[in-house]
Amino acid sequence: MKIALFGNPNTGKSSIFNLLTGLRQKIGNFPGVTVEKKSGVVSVNGEAHELIDVPGVYSIYPSNKEEKVVYELLLSSPINEKPDLGIVVADASNLSRGLFLFSQLIDCGLPLVLVINMNDIAEKKGISIDMNALKGTFSNTPIILMNARVGLGKDRLLSALSLQIDQLKTEHRKVSNMLKSLSDLSGQEEEARQRHKQIGEIMKESVRTAEKSPRSHTLDRWLTHPVFGYLIFAAILFVIFQFVFSFASYPMDAIETGFEWLTKGIKGTLSDGPLSALICDGIIPGISGVLVFIPQIAILFFFIALLEDSGYLARAVFLMDRLVRPFGLNGRSVVPLLSSMACAIPGVMATRGIPNYKERIITIFVAPLMSCSARIPVFTLLIGLVIPKMKLLGFIQLQGLVLLGLYVLGIVSALFIAWIMHLLLKQEKRSYYLMEIPEFKRPLWRNIFLTVFEKIKVFTTEAGGIILAISIVLWALASYGPSEQRSAAIQSLKKTIEYKTNDKVEREGLVNAVLLENSYIGILGKGIEPIIKPIGYDWKIGIALITSFAAREVFVGSLSTIYANGGTGSELRLSERLKNQKNPDGTLVFSLRTGISLMVFYVYAMQCLSTLAIVKRETNSWKWPMLQLVSFGFLAYLGGWICFSLF
Amino acid sequence: MLLNELKVGDQANIIRIADDVFRTKLLEMGIMPGTLVTLVLKAPFNGPIAFSYENTMLSIRKEDANNIFVEKMMNHA
Repeated sequence: MKIALFGNPNTGKSSIFNLLTGLRQKIGNFPGVTVEKKSGVVSVNGEAHELIDVPGVYSIYPSNKEEKVVYELLLSSPINEKPDLGIVVADASNLSRGLFLFSQLIDCGLPLVLVINMNDIAEKKGISIDMNALKGTFSNTPIILMNARVGLGKDRLLSALSLQIDQLKTEHRKVSNMLKSLSDLSGQEEEARQRHKQIGEIMKESVRTAEKSPRSHTLDRWLTHPVFGYLIFAAILFVIFQFVFSFASYPMDAIETGFEWLTKGIKGTLSDGPLSALICDGIIPGISGVLVFIPQIAILFFFIALLEDSGYLARAVFLMDRLVRPFGLNGRSVVPLLSSMACAIPGVMATRGIPNYKERIITIFVAPLMSCSARIPVFTLLIGLVIPKMKLLGFIQLQGLVLLGLYVLGIVSALFIAWIMHLLLKQEKRSYYLMEIPEFKRPLWRNIFLTVFEKIKVFTTEAGGIILAISIVLWALASYGPSEQRSAAIQSLKKTIEYKTNDKVEREGLVNAVLLENSYIGILGKGIEPIIKPIGYDWKIGIALITSFAAREVFVGSLSTIYANGGTGSELRLSERLKNQKNPDGTLVFSLRTGISLMVFYVYAMQCLSTLAIVKRETNSWKWPMLQLVSFGFLAYLGGWICFSLF
Repeated sequence: MLLNELKVGDQANIIRIADDVFRTKLLEMGIMPGTLVTLVLKAPFNGPIAFSYENTMLSIRKEDANNIFVEKMMNHA
């Protein structure tokens, strides 16, 4: 049987969902739209039923794409999507609002269970609910009290569900459609007025409110203060970034070392050959390349979930909304965009909270322009190569200033492109920013843990496949080439004095360089040389550009291979080696203008397979990632060309 | 006067909500003429405002707040 979970926002709906389903959750999309559909399995009397978490709404009549899902679920959705039974979660402190949605759903003829949640908080506020009076009013529907945050009332809910399920088995109630058409605004308004009248009567009979002291807003005033509010927000972000950068690297290193160890083990047992190469050099590094993102995703979502669950996030959104609105962004875009400065993947995944479709798409689109941590190795290598170590005005490090400039360029470009998109994209309907600012709550570890778990699962299962497939293709293109050309190149390498005079490690490096040069990617790199020449790159840099499409930091490793930096060459050695590389005409390969052109290229270029895969997953179409790939590629080229011409 | 013209801490009764869609939206949330609201927060730089009604604090943008006409309660000091 299909059971749908309805409720207003901030009623503890997701706590109840987590309580009922635990880890048995599945994330997908509602048919045809990009609205996330969370479903899970709930056992009632040993029978498994599907529980669907419906977006939190105040009314079944929608005001945006996300809320329309609820309306369509009840009205026009395919028959197998229609729920057989509904749970409505109402906040005990705001019962009348919950009853509004509840009464709408009753009129749709859907069998229901009404959960009155967070009764403990309501009692503290002096609100007491007369359950007998309420049960008398809605005699066909089981009504139960719950306190889902501490797990209270789960048994009551399960037995209420079982009661309704048993009844449904014997008699089939027909879902009648009392729904008003979406365009009938005045009809909806009139109906809402009537409903409020009735609910007002019900509230009078069944809810008593004692005289209470009003809620204190001192903390809210500080958190949204024009000076302290921003300082507190900056401090919180600072702490999060410290955690991401100082703690994520340990598990990331562990994952990579673990997989290297695994590769060695398998290489020992398998005989050399294409199969061993495919497994050890293609598939395993590919899997490692997917899993290595997990620590950053986990840490960022731990903090985002913590901010959300405690109630702080709503204050930050309130504080930031005005600052980002001119760029077509929402206050809710701020945390995803700032997260993207660690990694665009969790950033894109965090846009789920943006209620407006257009604002969400803009946020997803520009997120990869925020300079992520994978660009740091590229930038530090290039800055070390071409920017002199000197101080401006006696105390400003020029190299540091350039790095800061690259970050600023990324942020400014993101805002500029957001603004352009804001002008170009059409809004399907006038949107309203209506956000409840919830009361502060002690965060619930179960909710936070499940959020982290869910995000990791979505990334590995839904984006991981695409990333793995393309990284294997890239590996194959880099490791294979026309065999005749390759053996001829190796033969001629072995005749050179350089090869003969060097030791074993150096020889191996030279062979690897020749092999990469004569691989399919190498041929491609040479092929694009006429295109990248105007922006200052030779074919060797071209090869590194193509291989680093998998991930930006691969650029450094590829340069190391192509310039025969030996098997284990350190980065310092690589830097020295690159500094001395000369073009055939005697000029430096890594001149100032080539270096700056490359840095700007990496600010813009969509050189991240994993981000493309997650954007595809989050927007449910290839349109947006392809648009990013093409337009950011164009900007990268243009920016590189301008810099190469200027310097 | 407009909701947006209230000062932080002021209480007021809603008299009229101008925009059709917005009015219906608020009505569904239990906000209608006669609802008692208190202005709680104003975001910096003319950002959103937050008001409380019943047991809820709700934030809306300034231009939407300009669609809500209120009558300020004079009796509280």
